Amino acid sequence: MTALIFLLIAIAMLTALGGRRLLAGSVFGLGLILSVVWLVHHMTDALPLSF
Amino acid sequence: MATLVRFGNWLGAMAVAGVLLVAFALQFAQHELPCPLCMLQRVAFVMCGFGFLMNLRFGSQPLHYGITLLAALFGLAASGRQVLLHIVPGDAGYGSPLLGLHLYTWTFVFFTAVVVGVSLLLLLSPREIERREGRHALPMGALSRLAAWLLILVTLANAAAAFALCGPVECPDNPTSYWLLNRS
Repeated sequence: MTALIFLLIAIAMLTALGGRRLLAGSVFGLGLILSVVWLVHHMTDALPLSF
Repeated sequence: MATLVRFGNWLGAMAVAGVLLVAFALQFAQHELPCPLCMLQRVAFVMCGFGFLMNLRFGSQPLHYGITLLAALFGLAASGRQVLLHIVPGDAGYGSPLLGLHLYTWTFVFFTAVVVGVSLLLLLSPREIERREGRHALPMGALSRLAAWLLILVTLANAAAAFALCGPVECPDNPTSYWLLNRS
């Protein structure tokens, strides 16, 4: 999943460099949504704490 | 003023690429394998870099700064979470410290600096002319192209490294070896 996110952002950067702003923004948006989903997944891991 | 703003964006792009190169150096030279939250912090770095790159390519615009600010907040959430995970006294933290702080703490400081820096760039940005130019690509100088390609190469390298470490599945919480090497 993380590799896919990096790949999407790299594609967005290449698209921006090619001058296609809207497409770059759309691909980046997809990457951002996936990143947030993945962050929430990892931030809600149960912690092995004992007091 | 426009030159100063453009330089600020170039500096931001180069700083992001530099930080990711240092992380790579630590990963391969000292075998410091990144945890899932560390990988997400790297994602936040490249997303910040994308915002700076958009400003270099299309001119500075609030939309592009918004992208960088969102990415910095994403990075603050990931690094803040990791700082809190290791805040209990006696916890050794994850990985080796660098100049007295762990990498995720440095990351938290860096993203805070990005928020401050982008806020200043927004204050200094020209109001009308560059906004009108925003829909069209602007010519890029050699230094801007260097920063853009460096960012792209570092992002692609991170995609390859993430796949080598985690494969198509979820990364282990405390990785000790590469998924790709274990398969052979």
